[in-house]
Amino acid sequence: MPAVRTVEPMMLGKLDWSAIPFDQPIPLIAGAVVLVGILGVLAWVVLRGHLPYLWDEWITSVDHKRIGVMYILLASVMLLRGGSDAIMMRIQQAVAYQSQGYLPPEHYNQIFSAHGTIMIFFVAMPFVIGLMNLVVPLQLGVRDVAFPTLNSVGFWLTATGALLVNISLVVGEFARTGWLAFPPLSELSYSPGVGVDYYAWSLQISGVGTLVAGINLVTTVLKLRTRGMNYLRMPMFCWTTLASNLLIVAAFPILTATLAMLLLDRYLGFHFFTNEAGGNVMMFMNLIWAWGHPEVYILVLPAFGIFSEVVSTFSGKALFGYRSMVLATMAICIISFMVWLHHFFTMGAGPDVNAIFGIASMIIAVPTGVKIYNWLFTMYGGRIRFATPMLWAVGFMVTFIIGGLTGVLVAVPPADFMLHNSMFLVAHFHNVIIGGVLFGAFAGFEYWFPKAFGFRLDERWGKMAFWFTFLGFYVTFLPLYVAGMLGMTRRLQHYDVAAWRPWMLVAAVGMAVLTIGVICQITQLVVSIRNREALRDRTGDPWDGRSLEWATSSPPPVFNFAFSPDVRGEDAYWDMKALARKQSLEHEGPEYHDIEMPRNSPTGFVCAFFASIMGFALIWHIWWMVILGGIGAFATFVVFAWRDHDEYVIPAAEVARIDGINLEERRSLVSMAGGV
Amino acid sequence: MSMTATAGHAHADPHHIGIVVEHPGPAPKRIVTAYGFWVFLLSDIVMFSCFFAAYAVLAGQTAGGPSGSEIFEQRNVAIETVCLLLSSFTCGMASIAADTHNRLWFYLGMAVTCVLGLIFLAIEFNEFAGLVSRGYGPSRSAFLTAFFSLVGCHGLHVSAGVLWLLTMMAQVFAKGFRVDILRRMMCFALFWHALDIIWVAVFSVVYLLGSGA
Amino acid sequence: MSDQTHMHVEHDIAPGDEEQHSVGARILGYVVGLALALLLTATSFFIAGTDLVWQPSIPVALIVLAIAQMGVHLVFFLHITTGPDNTNNVLALAFGLLVVFLVVGGTVWIMAHLNQNMPPMDQIMPMRN
Repeated sequence: MPAVRTVEPMMLGKLDWSAIPFDQPIPLIAGAVVLVGILGVLAWVVLRGHLPYLWDEWITSVDHKRIGVMYILLASVMLLRGGSDAIMMRIQQAVAYQSQGYLPPEHYNQIFSAHGTIMIFFVAMPFVIGLMNLVVPLQLGVRDVAFPTLNSVGFWLTATGALLVNISLVVGEFARTGWLAFPPLSELSYSPGVGVDYYAWSLQISGVGTLVAGINLVTTVLKLRTRGMNYLRMPMFCWTTLASNLLIVAAFPILTATLAMLLLDRYLGFHFFTNEAGGNVMMFMNLIWAWGHPEVYILVLPAFGIFSEVVSTFSGKALFGYRSMVLATMAICIISFMVWLHHFFTMGAGPDVNAIFGIASMIIAVPTGVKIYNWLFTMYGGRIRFATPMLWAVGFMVTFIIGGLTGVLVAVPPADFMLHNSMFLVAHFHNVIIGGVLFGAFAGFEYWFPKAFGFRLDERWGKMAFWFTFLGFYVTFLPLYVAGMLGMTRRLQHYDVAAWRPWMLVAAVGMAVLTIGVICQITQLVVSIRNREALRDRTGDPWDGRSLEWATSSPPPVFNFAFSPDVRGEDAYWDMKALARKQSLEHEGPEYHDIEMPRNSPTGFVCAFFASIMGFALIWHIWWMVILGGIGAFATFVVFAWRDHDEYVIPAAEVARIDGINLEERRSLVSMAGGV
Repeated sequence: MSMTATAGHAHADPHHIGIVVEHPGPAPKRIVTAYGFWVFLLSDIVMFSCFFAAYAVLAGQTAGGPSGSEIFEQRNVAIETVCLLLSSFTCGMASIAADTHNRLWFYLGMAVTCVLGLIFLAIEFNEFAGLVSRGYGPSRSAFLTAFFSLVGCHGLHVSAGVLWLLTMMAQVFAKGFRVDILRRMMCFALFWHALDIIWVAVFSVVYLLGSGA
Repeated sequence: MSDQTHMHVEHDIAPGDEEQHSVGARILGYVVGLALALLLTATSFFIAGTDLVWQPSIPVALIVLAIAQMGVHLVFFLHITTGPDNTNNVLALAFGLLVVFLVVGGTVWIMAHLNQNMPPMDQIMPMRN
C-alpha cells in the first residue's frame, strides 16, 4: 500500500494496516475474542446503568481496600492470559517433535516472551501488591495508606502497562527476545520491529506504578501505625511487606534505568549495549539482574508473610520464633542485593567473583530455612484446621523446599555451567515462583476474601482447586527437571531428540490438570457468589484470626475502624485482637467522632489515560501524540495539586450508625458463643 | 491460650523488662509526606547510581572518538557548580521564608533559584550543542553515550525542578502559605538539595576525574 | 506488670525539617553550609588541575572531597542529624547508600572481571581478518 504509506508516516509514525496480523489467525482470533469480551462487559455496564457506580465506587476510589481488590482482579485476568500462553507452549513442545508444530517460530518466541513478562509483571506483582494494599492498613489499625491518591495512580499505571501488552497482541507484535529482552538481540539492528518497544514501554509505565506503590507502602508501615503498634508488635505480613517494598524502592529504579538505556540505544542511536562503538552487552545482564534478583524476593517475601499469618491462624498458635522470623526477613532483604551474578555465572567472570556470588546465593537459603522451620514449629503441637488457605500453605512448604534445594544446586557455579538455560532451570524457577508466590497469592486470596467481600469462599471447590493445581504442578514441572538433565535447553520451538519427547508429553498432561485447577478456582468464585448469603461472614472474624484486620467487620467500613485500636503488649497478634475487639465492643454510642477521609479522585485514571496514549505513541513513533500525552499528564497533576478540598468528613452520627449495625450483630454472636 | 485469659495478659511482655516505649500512633501528615518523598529521592539516587555505574564501565570506550580530557571545559563546569550551590542556598532561604509566611522573601528566593537553575541549564545545553555540532554526539562512542545520559539525566531533573518551582510559586500566589502547600514546598526543597548532591558526584566523577585521565 | 512504665514519646521529625531554631540560626546554618561547600568545591577543582601534589593521590582526594561535600549538603541543607528523632530518615538513607554502593561497586568489579577474562573485541577483530 504505497499510496497510504506516503500520507501516514507524518501522522501515525510507523503505524499502518500491516501492523494488524491478518495472516496469523491465532492472535487475531484471540484479540477479537478479548475485544468482544471487553465491549460486551462495557455494553452491559452502560446499559444496566452501572457506570456511575463503577466510576464513583471503583475507578476513582482512593480506598486502599478497593484498590487492592482492583489489583487482584487485574492479576487474575492477566493470569488467564499468561496461562493461555503457557498452555500453547506446552502443546507446541508436545507436538513439535521432528516437526514444526502448530506455532511458527516468530509467534512461539513472542508467546514465551509474553508469558514471562505477563506472569512476573502483571500477575505476580499486582497480586501481591493488591493483597498488601488490602490488608496492611487493616493490620496496622489505620484508616488508609500514606498516599491514597498516589495509590490509585500506581494501580492505574500498572493497568496501563498490562493494556499495552495486550494491545500488542493485535496491533503490531510483542518482543521475541525472552522476558528480559537481552541485547544485542533486543537492539534495533536485530529486532527492528515494535515488539521490544511494546515490552520496554509497558514495563517503564507499570514500573512507575510499582515504584509509587512501593513508596506508599514503605511509608505506611514506617509512619502510620496505630497507637502502641511498636515495630515488634507488627504482624509478620507487615514485616514482609516492609521488606518487600524496601526492595521495590531500591530495585525498580535499576530496572527503569536499564530499560531507559536500552530505549536510548533503540530510539536515539546510543551505544550502551550495542556491539559497535564500545558498547557493552554484558552490562545489560549485570544491571537487569541487579534488579531481577531482588525482584524474586519482592514477590516471595509477601508470600512468606501470608504463610506466616495462615499457618499461625490455622494452627491456633502464635507464630513460632517471631523475632527470628523478623530477622530472617530483613536478612533476606539485604542479602538479596548481593547475589545477582548467579544469573550469569556462565558469562565469563573468574573463579573469585563466581565463588563469592555462589556462596552468597547459598547463604540466602539460611534465613529461608529458618522460616520453614518456624512454620513447622508453629504447626507442631497446634490444633491444625485444614481449611483451603492452610492447604495452600502446606502445599507451598513441600513444593518450595524442592524448588529451594534445586536452587542451592544451581547456586554452585560448576553445576550451573551444566544447567544454565536448560529446562532444569525452567523447572527450578517455576518451582519456586508457582510453589512460592502463586500458592501464597492463592492462600492469601482464600484467607482474606471474606474480609474483602463479607462472605467466605466455597471450601469444597477450593479444596478441589488446590489438589488439581498441586498435582498438576508436579506432573507439569518434574518432567522438565528430567528433560533438563537430558540436555534440553529452554525456549525450543521444535526438537529432534527422541528421549525428550515422553517428558514433554507428560508435561502437557500436567498442564491439562493445572487447567482443571484453574477452572475449579473460577467455579469456586461463581459458586460462592451465588451462595453468598449462606457463606456470609457476620462476625468479621471467620477464621478466628490473630491480627487486627479481624477486629473490624467484613467488609470493613470505608474508615476501617470506628475507633483507632490501642495496641498493648507484645505476644504479637492474639492479645491485641482480643483487646481491640473488646474495646470496640465495649464502646458505647456517644463517644463517636467525625472521621476525615480522603476524597475520591479521578487523577489516577486520567493519568493512566494519558500514559496509555503516550506509551502507544512512543511505541509507534507518533511524536505529536507523545507531546499531547505529556502535556495532558502534566496538566492532570497541576489540576490535582490545585484542588482545595482533598478530604471529606464522615459525621460522628454516620460513623455511629455504621458501627452500630455491625456491633449489634457481633454482640449477639459473641453472647451466643459465650463471650469474649 | 484461651481468649478469656489473654486480656489479663495484655501487658505481659517477656522481652522488655523496664521501660516500654509505646508507639505514639500515626505520624502527622507533614512527616508522612516528607518521609515518602525522602524514600522517593533515595530511589531516584539508586537510578542515578546505574548511570554512574554505566559511565564507570564505559568511560574508557572512546571507540576512536574524543576522551574526556579533550572535551571537558573546567571553567564552564565551575560556573555551573557555583550556580547550583548558590541556588541551593537561595532555595533554603525560600524555605525559611515559606515557614515564616514571608511572601516577598519567598518570591525573591524562588526567583533567584529559578534564574540560577536556568543559567545552569543554558550552560549545559550549550555544552551539549557544541559537542553535537563537532560530531561528538552520544552516538559517537560508548563513552559519549554514558556521558550524555548521566549528565543529561541530571539536566532533565533540573528542568523538572524548574517546572515544579514555577508551579510552587504559582500555588503560593494563588493560595498562600496553606499547610498542604508548605508540605509541597518542603518536598521541593528536598528535591532541589538532592539534585545538588548528585551534581557534586557528577562534577567530581565525570568532569574532574575524567579530565585528569 | 508493675516493672513496666508505658511512656509516650514525641514523633520523629520530617526529613529536611530542623529542630526548633530561630530564623537567624537557620540562615546561619545555610551560610555555613554554602561556605563549606564552596570551599570544598574550590579545593576539588584546584586539586584536579594542579601538579603540586603526587598525581596518583588525585583521584582519591577528589573522591574524599566529594564525599565530604555530600556530607556537608546532608547536614546543612537537608538537616540530617544523628538525633533519635531522625533515626528513620538516617536508616532509609543508609539503606539507599548500601544499594548504591552494591550496584556501583558490584558493577565495576564484575565488569572489570569479565573484561579480564575476555580478550577485548578490538583485538579479536583483526585476528579474524
